[in-house]
Amino acid sequence: MKKKPLFAISLLLVAALLIFCVQSFFSEELEEHLGLSSAKFAGALFTAAPDSTAKKSRAHKSDSTAAEAQKFAALDTTRKKILFFGDSMLERLGPRLGAYAEENGHELAVVTWYSSSTEVWAKSGKAKEFIEKYKPNYVMVCLGGNELFISDIKQKRTKYVQQLLKEIGNRPYIWIGPPNWKDDTGFNEMVQALVPAGRFYLSYTPDQHYERAKDGAHPTAASAAKWMDRICRWVMTKSDFPIRLNLPANAKVSAEYRKNHCHYEYLSPPEGE
Amino acid sequence: MEHLSFDFATLWHNIVAMLVPNAAAPVVFSSGLFWVAFAIFLPVYALLRNRRTKMQLFVVAFSLLFFVRCSGWYVLVMLATSVIDWYVALRISAASDKRKRKMWLWLSLCCSLGMLFVFKYTNFFLHTWADIMGNNFQPLDIIAPIGLSFYTFRTISYVVDVYKEKMPPTRSYLDHLFFLSFFPCLIAGPIVRAKDFIPQIHNPAPVSAESVYAGFWQVMIGVIKKAVVADYLAQYTNIVFSNMAPYSGFELLMAAVGFTVQLYCDFAGYSDMAIGMGKMMGFDLGVNFDFPFRSKNITEFWRRWHISLSFWLRDYVYIALGGNRKGKVRQYTNLLVTMLLGGFWHGAGLNYIYWGALHGVGLVVHKINMPWLKKIPDNPVVSICSGLLTFAFVAFAFVAFRAENLTDTLAMYAGIFTNFDLAHVPYFIKARPTWCVMMVLILIAHFLPKCGYAAVQRWFVNTPWVVKLLVFVVVVQLVVQFSSADVKPFIYAQY
Repeated sequence: MKKKPLFAISLLLVAALLIFCVQSFFSEELEEHLGLSSAKFAGALFTAAPDSTAKKSRAHKSDSTAAEAQKFAALDTTRKKILFFGDSMLERLGPRLGAYAEENGHELAVVTWYSSSTEVWAKSGKAKEFIEKYKPNYVMVCLGGNELFISDIKQKRTKYVQQLLKEIGNRPYIWIGPPNWKDDTGFNEMVQALVPAGRFYLSYTPDQHYERAKDGAHPTAASAAKWMDRICRWVMTKSDFPIRLNLPANAKVSAEYRKNHCHYEYLSPPEGE
Repeated sequence: MEHLSFDFATLWHNIVAMLVPNAAAPVVFSSGLFWVAFAIFLPVYALLRNRRTKMQLFVVAFSLLFFVRCSGWYVLVMLATSVIDWYVALRISAASDKRKRKMWLWLSLCCSLGMLFVFKYTNFFLHTWADIMGNNFQPLDIIAPIGLSFYTFRTISYVVDVYKEKMPPTRSYLDHLFFLSFFPCLIAGPIVRAKDFIPQIHNPAPVSAESVYAGFWQVMIGVIKKAVVADYLAQYTNIVFSNMAPYSGFELLMAAVGFTVQLYCDFAGYSDMAIGMGKMMGFDLGVNFDFPFRSKNITEFWRRWHISLSFWLRDYVYIALGGNRKGKVRQYTNLLVTMLLGGFWHGAGLNYIYWGALHGVGLVVHKINMPWLKKIPDNPVVSICSGLLTFAFVAFAFVAFRAENLTDTLAMYAGIFTNFDLAHVPYFIKARPTWCVMMVLILIAHFLPKCGYAAVQRWFVNTPWVVKLLVFVVVVQLVVQFSSADVKPFIYAQY
């Protein structure tokens, strides 16, 4: 080893690579029991490339989506119990959706969790909790504003989005993408890959311009109302689950509706890093 | 969870996919792909090391492959530069007429700087022109070859040194290509001079166990700086600089300070990796960062920060402009021009020019005040105060380096100075404890005595192979752990 140091170093690198390759096969167990993450590179070496089976499963998925879309393509005019949950964007989206819900005879529960993310919602089990509490037959999610600039987002957050979708289950749902103020590091792309096109509303397109509040991130109340208007129009005309969401005559919900058919819950920011 | 399968077809397919040229995801020294390639490279290099031409051909081939993987066919731009400057240097040396020598020099400078201008600054100038004319601007689809700014400065130093007869031209094109394409220096320097590097090809230093392991140790330190500290700190910086509006003055200040430390760890980390690899191969690439935050004034800072660049600017711009030989006013002007060019070299944007100008002004102010500053007694209190003042100035200037434009830079300054409240401190620490601990540790490490570093390095060099492996595995695991850790954005806390 002393006489041939370059060979020794080379051997050391190979040994380390082997260790991390072996580790990548036990990544879930190590993460769960020891909190150890696995090296991306080692995992990438042995990750099976998309083969015909995978393609088939994607095709099947898209077929089933098409079937579901067909099933829900016609406007569903029945009254809905809508659960709308997500981050602080809901503070201004929620009241506007309330006006829509009253106008169209739906019940509404809005759960705003400040500073929340897909990770926080998935780990806490809150989505499941509120689904059990309000028993919605229509779910709206708006998350991602706090995750726009996370590096390696797909690797880190895919599992949490999947977990949330699992908790939503078979209920009709739509996911509202965050209204970016800068290009994101892949959040929208990640959700687009996990949620069928008719269930994801992309809020970051060249034709959408939202006036921002003084924090530079949240749309102002007026702008958020316009944003919600666009979302509702999209739900009615282009989503996989169109429900009645006609433009409300009143900008605000009535006291009677607010008292009997509408629930707003606010959760404090999660603690720690 | 992605499906992992242990079969050679998958392994082979993935390795080939990783080697496809991809400018969007260049290979960095802290990546797994590079380390696998380096593990294959080292034993072959060891076998060929004493057969000079074969060794050179092998290293050049490896470097060019590395370049192609990162920048595709832009490798031809670098090859063209190397051919032109190798030939021009020979012509300069052969010419006895001063005018002819100068003409060849200008030809070389036009080619090198022309390439730099076309690839790096075309969009900037077209954009500026469109702004002046009030037209819309659609950026041209130009991608700069990787390491363009660095190898351009290296090749300029070679031609100028031959012109000034500080070194003879190299007769062998292979020597010149070896120097210019040497992969440890290719992406981010250091900007090694030909007169220091080329003689090492002909008189190689012995590769001992001590030099190899010392180099490997330096590489690991670089990996920690770059992939653990800088990449982790970058998350908070990115969040704050993407939208400063919701943050308090204290949070903005922490982002500015954090970015200064991040930038240091990023640049210095990469330099450490390059220098360490050079050392492992028996090449001395010098020192590029010498604990810059220990500087007590801005002049000292530039002797410790990105040393190969600042000395290059000193030797090929500042002194070429006349340095301090033509009076005080001219000296100050030269300093300003040099730093403006230094700023522009870092990036095509007004904010980089502003950053360069700030440092130019800082250097001039320091030079003007030097006579009375020298009279201040050097005691610990003065040292700490001057160190803090220098750091504050550097961090203040680096805001421009990170902000997307001058408007954002000014918004950052305004936020720090008009919305500052120490009441946010405990709130900040509670929200981001890892970030705070990391900052404290890195600053403590920065001020540890140099002999401490040398002692730890000696321990590593003499430790058994298994322990070395263990240390390396721990370092890689640290990189993996921190790359999956997020800094809390806390964007919406004020609601």
